[in-house]
Amino acid sequence: MAEVSIVAGCCHLPVLKILLLLPLVGAALLSLLPTRSVDLMRHLASIVAAATMLCACLLVADFDPAGAEFQFFETRPWNPRVGSHLALGLDGISLPMVVLATLLSFVAIVSSTGIRSGARLYFSLLLVLETSLLIVFTARDWSLFYVCWELTLIPLFFLIDRLGGANRHRAALNFVLYTLGGSVFMLIALLLLYDAAPGHSFAMADMAAGGAELPVKTQILVFLGLLLGFGVKMPIVPLHGWLPLAHVEAPSPISILLSGILLKMGAYGLIRAAATLPAAVQALQDWLALLALISLLYGAVLAWRQTDLKAMIAYSSISHMGVVLLGIAALNPAGLSGAVTQMVAHGLAAGLLFLLIGLLYERTHTRDLGAYGSLNRSAPRFAVAIVFTLLASVGLPGSAGFMAELQVLVGAYARWGGWLVLLSIGILISAAYALRAIRCLSTGPERPFAGAAAGVTAFADLKRSESAAAGLLIAGILGIGFYPAPLLSLMASSVARLVRQVGA
Amino acid sequence: MNDGLATLAGALMASSRLIWLVPVLPLLAAAAIGLRRLRRRGGGDAQEPRTAGLASGAALGALLLLLIIDTAALAGLSPTSVVAGEWLWIGAVPVRLSFVVDAWSLPMATLVALIAWIALRFSATYLHRESGFQRFFFGMSLFLAGMLLIVLAGNAVLAFVGWELAGFSSWLLIAYAWERPLATGNALLVFLTNRVGDAGFLLGIGLAVWTVGSVEWAALAGDGTLSTVTARLLALGFVLAALVKSAQLPFTPWIARALEGPTPSSAVFYGSLMVHAGVYLLCRLQGLLVQVPDMLALLAVAGLATALYGGLCALVQSDVKSALIFSTVTQVGLMFLLCGLGFFWLAACYSGLHAAWRAYQFLLAPAYMHMVRRPARPVPRWLANQGWLYTATLQRFWIEPLASNLLTRPTLALGRDVRALDERFIDPLIGAPREDEKAPLGAPHGAASLLAGETANTLIRGHGIAGRALLAFADRLQLLEDRLLLSGDGVLTRGLQRVGHYVDVIESLLEQPRYLMLMVMATFVVIL
Repeated sequence: MAEVSIVAGCCHLPVLKILLLLPLVGAALLSLLPTRSVDLMRHLASIVAAATMLCACLLVADFDPAGAEFQFFETRPWNPRVGSHLALGLDGISLPMVVLATLLSFVAIVSSTGIRSGARLYFSLLLVLETSLLIVFTARDWSLFYVCWELTLIPLFFLIDRLGGANRHRAALNFVLYTLGGSVFMLIALLLLYDAAPGHSFAMADMAAGGAELPVKTQILVFLGLLLGFGVKMPIVPLHGWLPLAHVEAPSPISILLSGILLKMGAYGLIRAAATLPAAVQALQDWLALLALISLLYGAVLAWRQTDLKAMIAYSSISHMGVVLLGIAALNPAGLSGAVTQMVAHGLAAGLLFLLIGLLYERTHTRDLGAYGSLNRSAPRFAVAIVFTLLASVGLPGSAGFMAELQVLVGAYARWGGWLVLLSIGILISAAYALRAIRCLSTGPERPFAGAAAGVTAFADLKRSESAAAGLLIAGILGIGFYPAPLLSLMASSVARLVRQVGA
Repeated sequence: MNDGLATLAGALMASSRLIWLVPVLPLLAAAAIGLRRLRRRGGGDAQEPRTAGLASGAALGALLLLLIIDTAALAGLSPTSVVAGEWLWIGAVPVRLSFVVDAWSLPMATLVALIAWIALRFSATYLHRESGFQRFFFGMSLFLAGMLLIVLAGNAVLAFVGWELAGFSSWLLIAYAWERPLATGNALLVFLTNRVGDAGFLLGIGLAVWTVGSVEWAALAGDGTLSTVTARLLALGFVLAALVKSAQLPFTPWIARALEGPTPSSAVFYGSLMVHAGVYLLCRLQGLLVQVPDMLALLAVAGLATALYGGLCALVQSDVKSALIFSTVTQVGLMFLLCGLGFFWLAACYSGLHAAWRAYQFLLAPAYMHMVRRPARPVPRWLANQGWLYTATLQRFWIEPLASNLLTRPTLALGRDVRALDERFIDPLIGAPREDEKAPLGAPHGAASLLAGETANTLIRGHGIAGRALLAFADRLQLLEDRLLLSGDGVLTRGLQRVGHYVDVIESLLEQPRYLMLMVMATFVVIL
């Protein structure tokens, strides 16, 4: 029943458990603080997030990239009658996600300087959200996965509903309803799988063993259910309705998390589903690619159509997640490792973009592209960071996005050949809107903003802590862009195992 | 005693190995002057002697080295060609750093170094406190390197490097007074005319690689198997280069415009050295040229015509430098005539003598008025009596207006047409956003345009066919997006609301006591 695995690393210190529990402990500590001490709360939350990030780094150091199996694996029965386990483990696909999640949570907390009222609730919810995110990425049991998947909704609902923009109620409701609607199908699919699993167990390995035995038609049905659940989160195009509203209305730190890491949950779940139902994925491979290309173009075109900066980035996220889906659909090592790289790259780039736009919005109270101009004169550090990030999100060589898109291109070309011209068109359009944004933001005449006298555009440039947060993400993008070998070797053996399992 | 002689002979033999150093020395001087200028060390009176010293020192070094090699050659101790290394391969044809050390190149090179050295010494005082002092010596050193390379190079490619270097430095020095539009305009015209010759030179090199399979001067004459057509084409390229560089008809007008530069540079460039590069090139290629008699005839005709033209024009010039340059052209035309008649050796000797004499005259030109007491001679009577000929010589036979009408203006008109085509048809199609600069950027919008379906936005614009198509497509998608997904009263929500309404009604009905009573009674009925 239990997964055969190598329990690697140092067993005397359960780093993984500490990693998962730290944010919870932090949330509990926060509730003890007096309501007035907002800055203290932020500092405490930052320290907790930093410690969590440190734990993730320890995990990376302990991780053995050559081992294809799950590491740091531990399991104990949760509900023996149902067959669910509290099973945790990491492989080369989930580890980058864990590191990304801790990094982006840290950045989101550090950049939450604008939150003054309801800070205690805000920071506790953020930390709870971090824990549930991390459990989603480390769970080795579908029931645990599902519970924490749903658990992410609760903090997010309150975070958007309490602290969002003008349309926040509709956005929060839309978001939760969409995700719940998808989750229902996911739950049904999981129950079907549970039925098929030997010994009625929710453990991922058991379910994979059961799923592979199912006839192809049943597998396809089950997979479609899972696809609906994950497709809402990812999002795949007809299911993306919640995303533009939620991204635009959420406070900027939450937008960082939403597009940086929440979307990756969907893609991550899809990768796990592919390992569980190999025959179905193979049968649906071409359809998945079609969906991916549609998402890619749809998101890119609509991003080009927006003048609201946050809406633009939100739609561009749809486009970039289309690249991830295309990589997954290719089902070969290049495509899959490209997909994971793209998840990391997009997490960094979109997180950074939302961070910068959020900070801009804090200062100017406008997100309209036409309202800005000549930032490089009034706020040079902002201008440099934004130009860099926009170029990185297009996938300029030297940035992480380029490595990802290149691998996806290589992987998908092997299967679909000339159809990938659509991918190129998508990239072309993304270059068009990124360059337009650069032009509007950093060239042209200086413009006065609300609250400033005409002709006075001066607002504060990036502060030191903000520069540090942005610099962290920029370093990540450049590091992967120029030296992707460590990341690629981290995931190589896991991706190879996945490809073996799918058997394509 | 014998030992000493043997050592000396050995040293002399070894000296010819160092021939590559001859053009490199002035090149190094140019680099040093340029670097000093870049580091802002070359300004001021105090720095002038050092700059001048660098340039003339390099020239003197080259001269001394050449004299040693001359001695070795006279003693019969030097090989006729030296290969300093391999440079590159054009296909299967190697281009080596080869130099010729023979009776054609050595005297010419020695003369070049000598005249340049003298001119440089002269310029140090002549250009004292000129703003472009350093620039002048930079250009002169560059020219000296180029000229020495032309003379000493053992193959066409290496000579072409010198050829271009000379052309470039000539451009630099004609535009010496760059503040004056006339000077820069003349520099451009001279450079462009020279490019015609460069094209010929390149054609020659290409044909040599293709047909002969070597670019070495010695091999260029072929082994007698060269077909007449090939040989004629090959010769034509180099002859064209020579005609342009030596300002023969129909390319003569550029040389009169080249006098814009400072006098010492005019002296070495157009009076004595560069103008003879064409003659030298012809001498180098005599093996090839004698195979093509019609090309020799062409040379003779061009030379004769230029000699007549130069002679006639010289008679009517009213300033010293112009008169000198036209008489130079006449003499060089005679050299071409000699080459055309096959007297290459005579032409080479002539060019050496003429170079020395002209350099002296040109360097003297600024002081000419003081030295000559009597007034200038009037135009000869026979010329003054022939009205049309007199006008023609005054107008320099209308060569420049002719070139302008036949070449420059049609080219400009063609350029205008192509530009119009670009602006009217291709730009709108491709969508170069030309009008972007004029159109105002969108005024700050208060409301988020996320839900706005209209395209009346100045930021989102498509240019060209692709851009317009994208815009239309994006508008459709935005409409779809607004209808289906974003607006609160979407199809799905409305349906849900209606269902909720019905359920509400049923619920409220159920809550009313009479229905409750009814249900209880119904239950009882069923039970009973």
